[in-house]
Amino acid sequence: MTIQASLKASTAAAGVKAASPLRDLNGIVHLLTCGSVDDGKSTLIGRLLWDASDLYEDQRENVRKSGRKAADSDLPDFSMLLDGLVAEREQGITIDIAWKYFDTETRRFVIIDSPGHEQYTRNMASGASFADVAILLVDARSGVKKQTKRHAAILDLVGVKRVVLAVNKMDLVGYSEDVFRKIEADFRTLCWKFGFWDATAIPLSAVYGDNVSTKSDAMAWYTGPHLLEHLEKAPSRGTASSGTFRFPVQTVLRDGQDFRGLAGTVSSGSVNVGDSVTDALSGRSAKVIRIATMDGDLKSATSGQAIALQLDVDIDVSRGAVLSSSEMRPIAAQTVEARLVWLSENAFNPRTGYLLRTVTDLIPISTLEIKALLDLETMSSHPSASCGVNDIAVTKITLGRPAAIDVFSDISETGTVMIVDAVTGASIAGGVVTAVNAKGEILGDGHFNLTREMLANGLCRDLSLSSSDREEFTRRANEAAILLRSAGVSVAIEPPPPIDDGLDPGL
Amino acid sequence: MTASPSHLDLLEAESIHIFREAAAQFRKPVLMYSIGKDSTVLLHLARKAFFPQKLPFPLLHIDTTWKFRDMIAFRDKTAKDFGLDLIVHKNEDGLKQGINPIDFSPSIYTDVLKTQGLKQALDKYGFDAAFGGARRDEEASRAKERVFSFRAAGHRWDPRKQRPEMWRLLNGRLGTGESVRVFPMSNWTEKDVWRYILREKLDVVPLYLAKERPTIERNGQLLMQDDERLQPKPGEKVVMRKIRFRTLGCYPLTAAVESDASDMESIVAETINAQTSERVGRLIDHDQSGAMEKKKQEGYF
Ligand SMILES: Nc1nc2c(ncn2[C@@H]2O[C@H](COP(=O)(O)OP(=O)(O)O)[C@@H](O)[C@H]2O)c(=O)[nH]1
Repeated sequence: MTIQASLKASTAAAGVKAASPLRDLNGIVHLLTCGSVDDGKSTLIGRLLWDASDLYEDQRENVRKSGRKAADSDLPDFSMLLDGLVAEREQGITIDIAWKYFDTETRRFVIIDSPGHEQYTRNMASGASFADVAILLVDARSGVKKQTKRHAAILDLVGVKRVVLAVNKMDLVGYSEDVFRKIEADFRTLCWKFGFWDATAIPLSAVYGDNVSTKSDAMAWYTGPHLLEHLEKAPSRGTASSGTFRFPVQTVLRDGQDFRGLAGTVSSGSVNVGDSVTDALSGRSAKVIRIATMDGDLKSATSGQAIALQLDVDIDVSRGAVLSSSEMRPIAAQTVEARLVWLSENAFNPRTGYLLRTVTDLIPISTLEIKALLDLETMSSHPSASCGVNDIAVTKITLGRPAAIDVFSDISETGTVMIVDAVTGASIAGGVVTAVNAKGEILGDGHFNLTREMLANGLCRDLSLSSSDREEFTRRANEAAILLRSAGVSVAIEPPPPIDDGLDPGL
Repeated sequence: MTASPSHLDLLEAESIHIFREAAAQFRKPVLMYSIGKDSTVLLHLARKAFFPQKLPFPLLHIDTTWKFRDMIAFRDKTAKDFGLDLIVHKNEDGLKQGINPIDFSPSIYTDVLKTQGLKQALDKYGFDAAFGGARRDEEASRAKERVFSFRAAGHRWDPRKQRPEMWRLLNGRLGTGESVRVFPMSNWTEKDVWRYILREKLDVVPLYLAKERPTIERNGQLLMQDDERLQPKPGEKVVMRKIRFRTLGCYPLTAAVESDASDMESIVAETINAQTSERVGRLIDHDQSGAMEKKKQEGYF
């Protein structure tokens, strides 16, 4: 049963009507909000909660009764709804991310809030790693700033594919279309070099509610979606079932008789009973004979589902293994190149023992070499052998033993890593793998470059520049790259073509 | 593009993933079982995570001896029905000192019988990881809690020692003296818990359903007289009322609400349309401001 079918069955079983408040919601979208202090982040989130969410009546009453007004308006100060979170800032917790949940009529939204000011790189990077959509907030009076650029760079680094530029405080610029268009143009120039699938600018006023959850009368010239409409249309977590199959094994389950199940969460693609699956490291294959869950066996499972796979023969895999198809295997990596966000207050020290954590494996690191630091504003790198908190480092990691690892841009989850201090256990850095090699050397010139032109003229000829086609462009490019890599060829891919104003009305 | 999966399916899968990670990474985990609705969901998720295997860790209940009788009966039946390994621990020293929720302030009572009791049990059995049903939506001080929440020696929660989390990577490597609380339901809301109980048709303690019960009104709250240890003060009297509970704990510290909701669907409807969030019914939270925060530092969670 697919995840959708199982939902239908269980909803029907519980006798829940589709329109009842007891129903399951249509997916989850994780939103990261980022902006500079005073751009209006708390007011915007508060307004969204007020207009569209399932707030409790006592929470609404607090806002009404407080008498606090927003800006120079007569309207309640909706940012109050976030007060609790702000006060908690005082806790002194390192990596300061607060989670907030709300439901609209159809959807669960999760707001991941990281502070905009100090220490923002590591806070934002860890928050963004959970996000499906990022809302970049700017003040209409100042527009896109250097900070906005750095934010976009971090989003791209950790793999956020959808960004919204919320151009706030439009009331303070007379709801001027010219002002908005100029900011929108700057935003597109900025997004140009990143791999975003969707980048939309929306003019709004958080205080007055223009284009937050209703269309603004004051900005009739704007024909795009309002913020809520746009967010409700964004694809939920767990929607993609296409993609290359990956199954990192978490643990082995036994029932005391003859069941031996490999338990894990499908991290990409899908698997069916009868499929042949291969252990990346040993190259051994077996057939899936059963996909077990407590709710009954499944015929197939897709990315995001937690299952247990029973194989026809014992190929001696356990925790840390990654199952795939035999043609599209992850590399048994000995060295990887990774871009790391340095999270720890302790700077890099070549004498510290480090371990590499992947989704389900923990691998000793023989050497961790810092090659360069990345400048987020220019996206250029500068050679460096040292690295400290909030730096983004280009690194080369030599592993103590081979491990199944992907390139992050191909298959995101199995291309994420964390650096762990072997003694204290602390999480030191988190990052994405940019290259993998089995033989201990990462090829320099000998690699194959899948260029944008090559793809646009060939494999992706039928695609436009719309958001869904950009996604498809990336998917095909990655599939080609994975095939080549599995065959031992080192590959680099260019991101999809720039978002083009003229050709794409949706952007 | 396919249709979105249901949000409960996504939450369930995430929780199962967390359970499996923790069971694989820690030497000796335990599930903190407090019998209420969150524990009911937590246990169900744990069973799903390891199906068809038996749970690879025991359940631990810290018994203050002041739980509702229905809760204890439900706990024992659950353990029997599912063949679970249940450990019940009481802080015998605290009980000998006569600490109780009627004569002592809620903060002293909770600290001795719950917090100290929990620490004793964790130390006694040498558990290095304890699963709990806490959710980030419960209140602001929880909003930043990690899925793997680290405790220094002495079970202390040190904000500076909390580890960053990214993507689905969970780092459970312990430093010397460290242990961890694992919260598989971090991203669930109160409403999700009820929706899920309904969807999965889970049994809950009957106290969640409205029924005529003996009550005493005290300080504007309704308490249930679950046994003779709670007696009316001068001017109070015991009155039968149709009540139910939105949260369950020690009965002299848990306020009831008057309600007609006597089947699961009306409970869930009532909760989802509720005007106030659940903590209103939990008296210990009103005891001192920042109480939750303090309890966390002290290792209550
Ligand atoms: N005029 C106007 N003021 C706004 C708007 N949004 C926020 N503000 C004001 O800008 C200030 C900063 O807002 P706040 O939400 O606290 O910003 P944060 O620091 O980004 O969370 C407050 O005085 C808000 O009332 C808006 O759309 N229009």
